[in-house]
Amino acid sequence: MSSTDTATEAPRDERRDGEMARITAALGAAVLDSLVKPNDDMWIRVSADAWRTTGETLKSLGYTYFCFLSGIDWLPSPFGKGEDDPTEPTPERDSTIKQGYTGGATRFQVITRVMQPFTSLGVNIKVDIDDSLAIDSWCSVYAGANWHERETHEMFGIGFNGHPDLRNMYLPSDFEGFPLRKDFPLLARIVKPWPGIVDVEPLPGDDEEEGEAS
Amino acid sequence: MGLVDRGRLPKPLTSLFNLGRSYSLWVYQWGLACCAIEMGAAFGSPRYDVMRLGVIPLPASPRQADLVVISGTVTDKMAPAIKRLYEQMPEPKYVISMGSCANCGGPYWDSYSVTKGVDQIIPVDVYVPGCPPRPEALLEGIVLLQQRIKNEDMGARWRGEGTKPMSVVDGESAEKGGVPVVVN
Amino acid sequence: MTMLGDRQQLAYIAAQAADARVNVELETEGMTLNIGPQHPATHGTLRIIARLDGEQVVWAEPSAGYMHRGYEKLTEVRTYPQVTALVNRIDWLGSFANEVPFILAAEKLMGVEAPARAQHIRTILFELSRIANVSLFLGDLGVQLGAVTPVFFAFRDREYVLNLIEAATGGRFHPNFDRIGGLKDDLPAGFIDETRMVMKKLRTFCDQIEDLLFGNEIFQSRTRGIGVIPKDVALQYGLSGANLRASGVDWDLRRDQDLPMAWNKADWKVWTHPDGDSFARCWVRLQEVRESTKIVDQLLDTIPAGPVMAKVPKIIKVPEGEAWVSTENPLGEMGYYVVSQGDQGPFRVKIRSASFNNISIVPWVLKGVYVPDIITILASLYFILGDIDR
Repeated sequence: MSSTDTATEAPRDERRDGEMARITAALGAAVLDSLVKPNDDMWIRVSADAWRTTGETLKSLGYTYFCFLSGIDWLPSPFGKGEDDPTEPTPERDSTIKQGYTGGATRFQVITRVMQPFTSLGVNIKVDIDDSLAIDSWCSVYAGANWHERETHEMFGIGFNGHPDLRNMYLPSDFEGFPLRKDFPLLARIVKPWPGIVDVEPLPGDDEEEGEAS
Repeated sequence: MGLVDRGRLPKPLTSLFNLGRSYSLWVYQWGLACCAIEMGAAFGSPRYDVMRLGVIPLPASPRQADLVVISGTVTDKMAPAIKRLYEQMPEPKYVISMGSCANCGGPYWDSYSVTKGVDQIIPVDVYVPGCPPRPEALLEGIVLLQQRIKNEDMGARWRGEGTKPMSVVDGESAEKGGVPVVVN
Repeated sequence: MTMLGDRQQLAYIAAQAADARVNVELETEGMTLNIGPQHPATHGTLRIIARLDGEQVVWAEPSAGYMHRGYEKLTEVRTYPQVTALVNRIDWLGSFANEVPFILAAEKLMGVEAPARAQHIRTILFELSRIANVSLFLGDLGVQLGAVTPVFFAFRDREYVLNLIEAATGGRFHPNFDRIGGLKDDLPAGFIDETRMVMKKLRTFCDQIEDLLFGNEIFQSRTRGIGVIPKDVALQYGLSGANLRASGVDWDLRRDQDLPMAWNKADWKVWTHPDGDSFARCWVRLQEVRESTKIVDQLLDTIPAGPVMAKVPKIIKVPEGEAWVSTENPLGEMGYYVVSQGDQGPFRVKIRSASFNNISIVPWVLKGVYVPDIITILASLYFILGDIDR
């Protein structure tokens, strides 16, 4: 279950290992995967059914400080990257969805972070969002989740069951689309790619490649 | 104002009016983002002290203002409010667009929520480039505007003619004997 | 203290009464007060919609988004050095402090660590930007309460700090000085002596503000016992920085976190206040400026020799991984959750800005207060619009 330390000579972080053992013991089968990076951070991925209980359990474990909640869209951007040269044809990119730490099975994930005050130990919790694009709200657990869930709803179109008020926070109510989804186009960039990406004047040092472009 | 908008004001009177107008500019501060702090430094701080230029930065409402300084990022959500308050200002009214964001979108040129330039909503008289411009740059923009007001035909202004935008460019304009650098 | 207790109790009773009134069906016709989006008493374009019953706020809701520039989307189409230039503009008063956590996150992913000298200078500039930021707060605080003089003091003394930042980085506001692996440049000649002098001036400024404002009876009676935020509520809402410490939580990420920065090389103190009211929040900030000047003073003595830039490739490609780094910024905890998939630009950056959480408590804290206290409470919570909306 745990993909913690494999190599024996890897640096150990007893504080975080112990904390992770405490968390996995308390959450039980809800934890699908976990990761401790020594002297860095902790990650867990929980099942969507246990989302709210995860919050309640962590709060009772002393993680009373709510840091942030947001989403991730793991679809590789169909519009290329910022560093693509607009004068070249778009390079072929792998369009398979590949999730980051602690894996995952869906395109969208919600990620949140709670911390223990004083010790500054924090844990990042991920949860898969299936095609219903909805998950329980954490509002009743951490009051601060309210605005973060509103933001995530607006940016990714992920619904939160039990949230009192999922109005748009940033954008006009008639705005179409979900900006932080990878398939949301930045129109200004499609009309005119960023001109600075092309070196019009070759630098004195590198005369071998690039150079002129229009 | 029949005399004025038909352009029949005697010349000395025009000069007198213009002189008076240029040195009693009531500025409505539309502080939006980073530039608002530099505008605050220009208007509120003892070092830059805008009042020595005859600019009064304290009107209680846009209805008492001659000049509005749009300083900062204009978002699509904010744009209607800017337009509405600009329309509440009495004629003749002037606009200084301060900073790259208000000029053209600046670093957010590809954003989905930023208006790419306040000139899409309201006409701009002076552009002050920079991200953010130094307070001195804003002062120079104001000086440029005062020069325009002084040489202005009030009738043309009333009829909405002769309002080519100007720009503060690298502080050169002041060195060229007060000739404004005209863009477009 | 009895006065404080009474006020707290009154505020509590008022909140209860307001709650009760909302629930009663035979509610009298209330009034809706709209403050903003452009209002001199809000720092920037925050709009507050408050339902009033007489002089009391029954329900208040900040309406953000007038400064939403889509940072998180824009980071996805920019390279790491370009993102650094962008994130300067989140909290525009303490720009350098915004760069640091992002750079640290990228460095963590790349496995690079800045040389000791760069870490030291980073910390100095970080604290300078905190001073530039919070000193404006101290001046602005007076304006919100009807005292105009402090803001002139603040603008006057802030210029000295901005000059220092400009001398070192070339930018008054947005230095864009931090690089992955170190800093763009070393400190200019004469910086150290100049900084010492300015720090002395800033301490005088703090004393002046304390005399002018904090000892003022009107100021005290308008802030003491107003807008009380208890410890557990503050933590739940994710308040951070001085707002949290003013509620009695002794937690400072500069001290309690192990980051490659130089804070642990100086001797300084984390100030807390038990009251959790507007006064406490302002007071903690004042002390923080003082501590920052002390930190800068001490660090100036011990800048190690060496390069300011580690060896990094010319074109920066960050290996796959995820990293979270947060620092104690002038406004509170600012963190970046950076997801990299091995490209020149980040795959996703979640920007956790302090003001967003600090302001999300507003509907809770404004319930039951009187109308003039809205401005005081907002001023003492201290937000910057760019930091809320990003």
